[in-house]
Amino acid sequence: MLEKGKISSIQAIMLMISMILPTAVLTVPAITVKSARQDAWFSIIIATMAGLLIAWMVVNLGLRFPEKTLFEYIEDILGKIPGKILGFLYIWWFLHMNALVIREYGVFLATAVMPDTPIIIFHIVVVAVAAYAVRNGLEVLSRANQLLIPTTVLLALVFILSIPNMKLSRVLPLFDAGLFPIVKGAVVPASWLGEIVTFAMIIPYLSKPKEAYRVAFLSILLVSFFLTTSILEALLIFGPNLTGSWIFPTFNAVRMISVGNSLGRLEIIIVLAWVLGGFFKIGVFYYAAVLGSAQWLKLKNYQPLVLPVGIILVALSILIHDGIVDLLDFLKRVWPPYALIVFEAGIPLVLLIIAVVGRKGGRKIA
Amino acid sequence: MVKFRKLTKAGLLGQIQDNFKKIIASDASSKSIVLSNDLEINLQRIKVILHKCSDVVYRDFIFAQNEQIRLALIYIDGLADSGQISNQIMRALALEVPMAVPGQNITKSEALEFIKQRGLCISQFKETEQMQDIIHAILSGDTILLVDGHATAIINNSRGKVQSLSNSEGKTMVRGPRELFVENLRINTALIRRRIKSPNLKIETFKVGNVSDTDIALVYIEGIVNEKLVAEVKSRLEKIKIDAVLESGYIEELIEDNPWSLFPTVNHTEKPDKLAAMLLEGRVAILLDGTPVVLTVPNLFVEYFQTPEDYYQRFLFTPAARFIRFISMIITLILPSLYIAVVSFHHELLPTPLLLSFAAHREVVPFPVFLEVFIMEVVFEVLREAGNRLPQLIGQIVSIGAALVLGAMAVQAGFMATSTVIVVIFTGIASFVFAYSASIAFRLLRFGLLVLAGTLGLFGLISGVAVIAIHMCTLRSFGVPYLSPIAPTTGADLADVIYRAPWWAMFSRPRLIAGQNRKRQEQGLKPSPQKNK
Amino acid sequence: MLKKIAFLLLLFLLISPLEGCWSRREINEIAIVLGTGVDWTAEGKLRLTVQIANPGAFVGEGGRGQEATNWVVSAESKTIEEAERVLAKMVPRDLHWDQSIILVLGEEMAKKGTNMVTDFFQRNIEPREIMWLMVAKGEAKNFLETYSELEKTSAQAAGFLTRMKTGYSVQLWEYAEMLASKGVQPVATRVEVKEVGVTPGLDLEKMTPIHKQVEISGVGVFKEDKLIGWLDEYETIGLLWLKNEFIKGVITIPSPSESNKEVSIKIRRGSTKIVPEFDGENLRFTIKVKVEGDMVEQQGREDLAKPDKIKALEKEMAEEIKRRAIVLLQKAQGEFGVDIFGFGDDFHRKYKKAWRELKDQWDVKFAEAEVNIEVEAYIREISLLGKRASSPEK
Repeated sequence: MLEKGKISSIQAIMLMISMILPTAVLTVPAITVKSARQDAWFSIIIATMAGLLIAWMVVNLGLRFPEKTLFEYIEDILGKIPGKILGFLYIWWFLHMNALVIREYGVFLATAVMPDTPIIIFHIVVVAVAAYAVRNGLEVLSRANQLLIPTTVLLALVFILSIPNMKLSRVLPLFDAGLFPIVKGAVVPASWLGEIVTFAMIIPYLSKPKEAYRVAFLSILLVSFFLTTSILEALLIFGPNLTGSWIFPTFNAVRMISVGNSLGRLEIIIVLAWVLGGFFKIGVFYYAAVLGSAQWLKLKNYQPLVLPVGIILVALSILIHDGIVDLLDFLKRVWPPYALIVFEAGIPLVLLIIAVVGRKGGRKIA
Repeated sequence: MVKFRKLTKAGLLGQIQDNFKKIIASDASSKSIVLSNDLEINLQRIKVILHKCSDVVYRDFIFAQNEQIRLALIYIDGLADSGQISNQIMRALALEVPMAVPGQNITKSEALEFIKQRGLCISQFKETEQMQDIIHAILSGDTILLVDGHATAIINNSRGKVQSLSNSEGKTMVRGPRELFVENLRINTALIRRRIKSPNLKIETFKVGNVSDTDIALVYIEGIVNEKLVAEVKSRLEKIKIDAVLESGYIEELIEDNPWSLFPTVNHTEKPDKLAAMLLEGRVAILLDGTPVVLTVPNLFVEYFQTPEDYYQRFLFTPAARFIRFISMIITLILPSLYIAVVSFHHELLPTPLLLSFAAHREVVPFPVFLEVFIMEVVFEVLREAGNRLPQLIGQIVSIGAALVLGAMAVQAGFMATSTVIVVIFTGIASFVFAYSASIAFRLLRFGLLVLAGTLGLFGLISGVAVIAIHMCTLRSFGVPYLSPIAPTTGADLADVIYRAPWWAMFSRPRLIAGQNRKRQEQGLKPSPQKNK
Repeated sequence: MLKKIAFLLLLFLLISPLEGCWSRREINEIAIVLGTGVDWTAEGKLRLTVQIANPGAFVGEGGRGQEATNWVVSAESKTIEEAERVLAKMVPRDLHWDQSIILVLGEEMAKKGTNMVTDFFQRNIEPREIMWLMVAKGEAKNFLETYSELEKTSAQAAGFLTRMKTGYSVQLWEYAEMLASKGVQPVATRVEVKEVGVTPGLDLEKMTPIHKQVEISGVGVFKEDKLIGWLDEYETIGLLWLKNEFIKGVITIPSPSESNKEVSIKIRRGSTKIVPEFDGENLRFTIKVKVEGDMVEQQGREDLAKPDKIKALEKEMAEEIKRRAIVLLQKAQGEFGVDIFGFGDDFHRKYKKAWRELKDQWDVKFAEAEVNIEVEAYIREISLLGKRASSPEK
């Protein structure tokens, strides 16, 4: 076993929340609202269904091969050569996704927090912090995450502080745009919730694998809850027209807060809470990529891979897109079919079908 | 090199003892054990009960009047007054007992009565046949006299005054005992014994240091402590090969888990009451002869927020006090960096009037904020160090007073902005609030964060904090995660982190420390007025 | 371990302060903008005017009390950013917009269209979307150059005046939201420079000259992003009621039996409900206003502390509100022909499908709509006096 640590179910839930939420809160609202307008929250509910389905698939698959991660059982199911090829694709996907996430973070920090700082500085720092956590293994990653996740509660606090700016009438009438835009709006959040696929890397290290279903479902539901909260927050403040026109609506919603007459402009604090979450989001994918590569290469220890993968991540995140317009367009058009259909739903579904039909995989933990 | 000094002679523990071990293993039957007529059996039984208690002294000798009669004295070194024992009991019985009838020795059967009547120069004694009473008496500092051939023991009152140091100049306590450990190992073990009169309180003694040959004692409570922990501590102690240990700091550095970490993973205390509480939670203490500082392991980070007063004062006050300590820690770590980040990167966080006032104060200051804070911090650390080296009263005046005066002057001269001086001095004061050993770590890390905040603003600061958090998560102290019970969270143990559960609700010992027997107390202790029938 | 330390050191050096402090701006290297104004000049250029604080003058004790608290400086150019660059050549410090509390548009600028201004303030990080948006009667530059007695600067004075919500006040983002919606046309606070009295002083020579002071005086009405007209203070109160925003205003009505004496009612709370009705052809709105107020002043000596008198007052109050609303509605439907009340949004909420067809010609539909007003008014308190005790009538 490459990873000796075990994490508890609560730690796993927190890790999954940190893995999905930080960038989802930032980028998803604008994209969804543009399509589904004031019914964006309904899109999230649809996306949650999809997320739950993917979570079910992943856990079902994972529990058929106890103590094995995605990269190990993929070979059991498909055989050595196809398994290796798919495994390589997944490594690429983890790297690519992570590079995107890092870029999103860099872009956000460079536009919203420190406009004059070169973006690569953020990338290097974020990857270095994540690398430090990853090097120390899953236990440390999830423990540090557990320690710092309470900052997510700030999202709820932001909601409460924004109430004076809100008007319920801004999300009415319901179902204005029709069913198709709502479903269309659900695609992008679904591709985010589908990141739960990464859970396949963590199932073997749960101290209570029996609770894997519960962990996956609860994570999806909690993420959806926070996502809905932040979308509703932006909608209730700005209405659908203005929300769709911001690039980071949640960030602008936070900018509206002022406590009393003197204490305002607190968004930087919230931003930093997100940044903190970002370390762990990047950390989880980083970990998945590193652990996956080590298993793919049949190494005895994954730590030598941490530094090279980190360098690849920094380089990739810089090279991958020219600017924010390019990035957002990619996230809106290419990402959902690429991530959702292929890596998050497609391959796991095929794997599950082959496993069930071919009766592969050992005992299933009930 | 550690030399295992075995106080129990290996050959003595025979088959009788094995049987006896089984008997005392079941708690219920041990209460009704009575003495036997045979001195040897009695001695062995007591030794079984008090095994691994290196401070118990067994002295067997021959009665002055009849060489056939063997006597034995049992007492605890340090707790009992050994001068009194040797002068008034030993001397009388071994040398000076008068003849009852001149020329005629006393027989075995008469011995007990004779000793009672004429042999002891001691004002108070009791007789007992119960083993339980005997153990209790030994642990209380009394001296037991066993006479061969009699199933009765004489309990001599020999409770001495333990020479401890009273806390007059150290930290003042709001409430609680003022006693402190001293440099003498025996007195220190006695101080612990006095608080925990249990035969399960084990004190194992080693020697450490090739040249210094210093006594070192391992103290724990059997039945509460995790046996693996004791084994681990022992194995680490046995690995020490050094010429001398002059202070427990030597040991600390040689046994800690993460030598490169700024955070101490071995705690230390000078207060016997605090040590007793820690032993009762299942920790292991390491006492060293020649120093009053006692090491305890495993050490959790939360310990730095817990003070003995928390447990002596009413429980409702604890959350507030702990909150203050926690806030002080945060302030010590990040306030100056936060100030730099806000003033030179994120002005928007300041309300307009405050920003204008900051700006007005800073108009004349020649340095960037980062440099200003850095210089001021260094100045403050210099003053603090000077304060440590000076006699105590002057030291305090220097460290605080000079800081204030210097700060005021620097502001007047236009070197510093008022706000900087306020921030730095407040940070300095806050670093005094919680335990010294942890505050050193934070004070050093603070400088690192200063640089990060001066470069990347709040982003740098938060990255630094994340790295510190991750680092603290990697730490373990003797197998226990440093940040438990917060991360990883262990539910019931949180009852002593943010708040302290009232004593009637603190049912269990810390899960990750205590090995077994986690129950502290019975349910239903919550006081309530007696209801009328 | 050594490698680890070396690595950390390298990382540290890489980002050390020596390398560069990209986003760092020392507090004494920034020019704090308190208020911003934009005008459209006769030559067809944008003129950006900023009011910059002089921090030294803000600190009372030991400060330089006699210095001017602010410096108003302006620059002309094609875009705001370009104007800012021009300003950068005049102001020896970096302009810092975070504290700017107001954005004043000159009258000409507002007529020309606000879109070319507001984008800069929404897009960039520093200027806040919560700054109060106002339209100046006349030039924004003049407005910023005025002086305030209680506050340090006119920008702060105007900002605080708006914040008190004595009239209709709107923040930039609210304006942007109104602009983005088809169901409502935006309005913005109107401000004016008024010449107020002379500050009393003993010495005639030292007497301050007649100085100019800011005042809030109604709202400006927009069609899309262009200013088309004004509403005065009296009408503004009506606008607020119809927009369901009840500020603590006053209604003055004649005393029931002494028609030459007035009674003042302070409004405590109220609500407005707009009920649209649409049968495919005709559009009708029923506006249900409910107002609660306290009687706070009475000029006459009538005993008003009687249920029937209160009833009469309430009736009079309702009539007054209705009158104001009708005047305003006529103006909006007739003179301006724009829906400044947000009836369109209410209609949208009720008739989703019809809205899709009507939304592009909503202002025309609105102008043709029939509007009914139903007012319920209540007087809850009469403060400390019951019947007024005074000298008996001769």
